Amino acid sequence: MVISKHILGTFDEALTSLRNDLLMMAGLAERSLDRALKGLLQRDDDLCANAIADDEEIDQLEKQIDKDGFEILLRFQPVASDLRRVISAIKLSPNIERVGDQATNIAKRARKLNKHPPLPEVQLIVPIQAYAMTMFKDSINAYVRENVELARSVCDRDEQLDDMNRAANRKLTERMMEDRDQLRGYFNLILVSRALERVGDHATNISEDAVYAAAAEDIRHQTVATSA
Amino acid sequence: MENLLMPTSERIVEEGMEQPSEVPSNSETVLASTFRVKNMSIWYGEKRAIEDVTIDIASNAVTAIIGPSGCGKSTFLRALNRMHELTPKTRMEGTVLLNGEDLYSSGVDPTVVRRRVGMVFQKSNPFPTMTIGENVIVGLRLNGVHDQKFLNERLEKSLRMAALWDEVKDDLNKPGTSLSGGQQQRLCIARTLAVEPEVVLMDEPCSALDPIATAKIEELISDLKTKYTIVTVTHNMQQAGRISDYTAFFYLGRLIEFGPTTTIFTNPKERQTEDYITGRFG
Repeated sequence: MVISKHILGTFDEALTSLRNDLLMMAGLAERSLDRALKGLLQRDDDLCANAIADDEEIDQLEKQIDKDGFEILLRFQPVASDLRRVISAIKLSPNIERVGDQATNIAKRARKLNKHPPLPEVQLIVPIQAYAMTMFKDSINAYVRENVELARSVCDRDEQLDDMNRAANRKLTERMMEDRDQLRGYFNLILVSRALERVGDHATNISEDAVYAAAAEDIRHQTVATSA
Repeated sequence: MENLLMPTSERIVEEGMEQPSEVPSNSETVLASTFRVKNMSIWYGEKRAIEDVTIDIASNAVTAIIGPSGCGKSTFLRALNRMHELTPKTRMEGTVLLNGEDLYSSGVDPTVVRRRVGMVFQKSNPFPTMTIGENVIVGLRLNGVHDQKFLNERLEKSLRMAALWDEVKDDLNKPGTSLSGGQQQRLCIARTLAVEPEVVLMDEPCSALDPIATAKIEELISDLKTKYTIVTVTHNMQQAGRISDYTAFFYLGRLIEFGPTTTIFTNPKERQTEDYITGRFG
């Protein structure tokens, strides 16, 4: 959608600032997730430490977005698409923040795993990581570009990620029973897989807000609503 | 994701205003309509101020008319009680049905129309030589009502409905102009209500008032809609959002969009509506 400028330039500046903070936050969360997973796969504790350090900045940006959003509501009383953009920004920033939290969780698990000999089963995480990362990136892209189709496709992909997580859990549980010496290692990999599954959930939430921002359509909990 | 950090300004592309694909009408959404306006066009001399407007005004609801200056919203409002005819060289086409009766058919007395469809103006205008009490019942007196008991009852009832009784009940003999701006506006509303109209039209009733007086009028409008159909013109988007059930957006004499206020202010269908309410053009 082509967006023309507001008569009030300060309103455009405030909206741009909000959007840039959101993009910055998403960029940091993506970087943090990437570092955490590289720290796991490349057994690099420094990358894990960097991923954990990113979280503080992500948390501060969440607070900044809330502050900017409330200020826009107070000063400019936005309506229509402007209102939806501000509300969506306030709603989706906690989801980005939780992606950052999941990156921290993965980094902490990776540091524990790095203290022990490598487990070949870590390769089970690779496709899940790629799938979850793509979902997250696409959800942010969908919000920024107001791409409703892309947002819907992210929501549709969540089930596949859940299946991938379940399959990895099954294999890792089997390995736990076969090789009791590596119990903790396999358990940490299960938690990494679960963290990535949660990243997919947050990407889905972000995509739902993206659809609302772009098309004023609430696509949350549709299964429940239709069956009720 | 670095490419996403591109500033919004680079994405902004100026685009000309688009024309709506069809004339909007709410005939499918409004169940009971006080007014049914069909193909209304109004000219001031050669200039067409209203162009082919079709709209149903819901009963016992507040309908807000919004739009930039000169868009025809006040002309449209005045045409609902034929007050625009007071301006020389006006011409009107189309039909306006008030509860099924054509207000413009031959033989209809415009003064009777204006009794049935009351009007409150932007600037409060109590009669300066009359007391508060006289201001309220002047309409009834002019219509030949002289029963003092009836007039006293209607005086109190009207002032109570206008949420002014408690403030002026001991000062009914003071001049109407001795009241504050907000009180004067409520006095004018009481004067309108005293003749028991079917509809109350309001032309920017709060634009000259402070926020407290505005809040009182807005509260009053919400109370009055249980008994009256209210149509109000406002430049205040937030006010339209607060008080109205339906909103109509006019631009260049045309009705661009009409619908439930919540829809208009969260997800308008027409680009022109979106641009106007979000402050992208004026």
